[in-house]
Amino acid sequence: MTIFQRRLSTSSLIKIIIGIFFLFFVILPILSMFGRITSTSLASVFTSSQFSKALKNSLTTTFVATLISMTIGLVAAWSIERTAMRYKALFSTIIVLPMLIPSISHAFGLVALFGANGIVTRFFGLANGIYGFWGIVAGSVMYSFPVAYLMFTSILHYEDAMPHKAALVLGIPPLRRFVGITLPYLRKTFIAVFFAVFTMIITDYGVPLMIGGKTTTLSVLMYNKAVGMIDYSSGSVIGVLLLIPAIVAFLVDILNPEKGESGFVSELMESTNNRLALVASYVFNGAVLLAVLAPIVSFCIMVFQTKYPINTEFTLYHIEKTLNRGAGRYLINSIIYAFSAAVFGTSLAFVCSYMTSRMKGQLSYILHLISLTSMAIPGIVLGLSYVIFFSGTNIYGTLLIIALVNSVHFFASPYLMMYNALEKLNPNLEAVGMSLGIKRIRIVFDVIIPKVKSSLSEMFTYFFVNSMMTISAVSFLAPPAPKPVSLMINQFEAQLLMESAAFVSLLILLINLLTKGGFALAKKKFN
Amino acid sequence: MTKKLEISQVSKGYKENDVLKLVSFDVEDGEFLSILGPSGCGKTTLLRILIGLLEPDTGQIFKDGIDITNISPAQRGMGIVFQNYALFENMTVIQNIEYALRINKKTKANARHTAKEMMNVVGLNEQKDRLPRQLSGGQQQRVAIARTLALKPDVVLLDEPLSALDVATRISMREELKRLQDTFGTTMIYVTHDQEEAFALSDRIMIMDEGAISQIDTPIAICKQPANDYVQTFVLDNLKAKIASLAQFDLGKSS
Repeated sequence: MTIFQRRLSTSSLIKIIIGIFFLFFVILPILSMFGRITSTSLASVFTSSQFSKALKNSLTTTFVATLISMTIGLVAAWSIERTAMRYKALFSTIIVLPMLIPSISHAFGLVALFGANGIVTRFFGLANGIYGFWGIVAGSVMYSFPVAYLMFTSILHYEDAMPHKAALVLGIPPLRRFVGITLPYLRKTFIAVFFAVFTMIITDYGVPLMIGGKTTTLSVLMYNKAVGMIDYSSGSVIGVLLLIPAIVAFLVDILNPEKGESGFVSELMESTNNRLALVASYVFNGAVLLAVLAPIVSFCIMVFQTKYPINTEFTLYHIEKTLNRGAGRYLINSIIYAFSAAVFGTSLAFVCSYMTSRMKGQLSYILHLISLTSMAIPGIVLGLSYVIFFSGTNIYGTLLIIALVNSVHFFASPYLMMYNALEKLNPNLEAVGMSLGIKRIRIVFDVIIPKVKSSLSEMFTYFFVNSMMTISAVSFLAPPAPKPVSLMINQFEAQLLMESAAFVSLLILLINLLTKGGFALAKKKFN
Repeated sequence: MTKKLEISQVSKGYKENDVLKLVSFDVEDGEFLSILGPSGCGKTTLLRILIGLLEPDTGQIFKDGIDITNISPAQRGMGIVFQNYALFENMTVIQNIEYALRINKKTKANARHTAKEMMNVVGLNEQKDRLPRQLSGGQQQRVAIARTLALKPDVVLLDEPLSALDVATRISMREELKRLQDTFGTTMIYVTHDQEEAFALSDRIMIMDEGAISQIDTPIAICKQPANDYVQTFVLDNLKAKIASLAQFDLGKSS
């Protein structure tokens, strides 16, 4: 055996092991979900009036919410990237705050403010509140616009200033430049953002479950069928339907790989000092800030006041009561899940992206594609397919299955992050190492990992924060697995324990803020 | 002179595309041999086969009469320097040089001593505690060369090491390379697409075209007797054009 054959087999072995992991934890579960579909379940789902109503509701609420999210995201991104606004760091931090709490908390925040007994509803003496169509739209916008904002920000940040300067010299006015240069530059991003946000909203069940009232969506229908009535067959039919927008989003994403950032930027755009633009930006972002903070403030009011608005005395009674109802134990479950998903997910994503980016070959390409597929599988679909595939096995109902489902569910983004970071490193590092008698593994630990450690910490926080707040896949698997705290929000609200639901939302926000803040501080200190 | 390397019938292909076609040549001990050719002629593939990063489809490589075709890069006693330096960017200059010495079981004191010696030789004493990104391109390439020479390899392969540098630095680095070769008596194989560089540096030049050797000889012999049209046009005519334009410039200045 030559050195080449030996080296080949070690790396191939690792690739094959990762491939087998994906086979058992992505491909086979999804296939087993398809296997559950029968002609009776197909017929019963498609002919029911419930289904056609839910389909219509899903499409209309999602479409409207997506457009609103994109508009808010784009305006916020433009004003922060392109005007000389002050306090940009503060604004951009608060804008992404909603990404740290579960979708269901946003809907709960709206209920707390505008629901039948909501703070604002009572204050103004309004009737009935915002359950239904507009509630779903508002709640969906709340958690999805930060995603649009981030996507638009990164693309606007890297827009090349040279074409604008050339146009300026030719005497083309600002609005024409925006329409003629910036908008075409954003075209691909618009498509990508649309599909990403659309998929996110249509597959979420948290918001419509909490605030939808009689307006049922596909995701809620699937949740009710699979979790409520244990009708996996009908659930699978809807699950497959929910895969469609996700697959389209996925294809759009891999077929449009360059989104501008990779291009050669000769000069970044300058910020405008235009007074009108500045005032508009402050007003707009101020309103966004208010909308983001209002539910969080209302949670605080509910948690720390004896009984708003009758008795506004400060109290820790609600916290104590919530902890007595087991919130502490559920919180510990959540932290264990989040931490193990972060450790396992980050390690797997690192090894996998190292194999696909720095040891290229046919196997690498296949592995790369499989790694990205997790992006196309909505959490509730993954959850249902895990129930179908793993029930009866040893890991069903254990902590392990939840840690695994979270690692898989949130795999694609951190994987891509590391893949891009590794691709940027000098391609000859390992070759030089070998010629100097240094093994590949030592180069990885001594040279590669120190170079990508900030990406590693970002991956870790991504897994952690998302596992902390997810309610999608886990709702199918827990129980029987120990419950994470995020699932308590819905339960407390259903039992009319509003203060406890608010406290749980705040707890998740707090843990995620601490995690993010801690890593940001560490990054500052060590770099 | 004795033979340092003997390359016999080496070939390599990717998907029906022959990158190297049964290449055979010898390298003398202590020689400075340039491999000259346009991009895509197979010179980098050849270099990667020599160091052991690529496996040849056919053929053998002998070093000091021993077949090293199936020996790992680490055990070939050869060093390599790349165009893009490939420095360990999280390590200082001295750590870059020491790192391999330590791993190759030198004591700490011993490694430090050798590293300091090497930094003297390449003139980077003042920069020893800097990180690579704080150095100029020329300085970075010096670190890469020092890192390779510190292990005292008897053959050093250089893959277009000066292409990323500006003209002035490139010319001073050429002299530096020659000086280092004299000091260490190392056999050097230098891959380049720059005719001028090859003629300025080499004991012998090997001209490659489409995966095969067009001519291998001393610069003077190549000038006197180019083996074929390709050598005449790609190498000599280009070189003459360059010299002619320089001569014109000199005339303009003096008038």
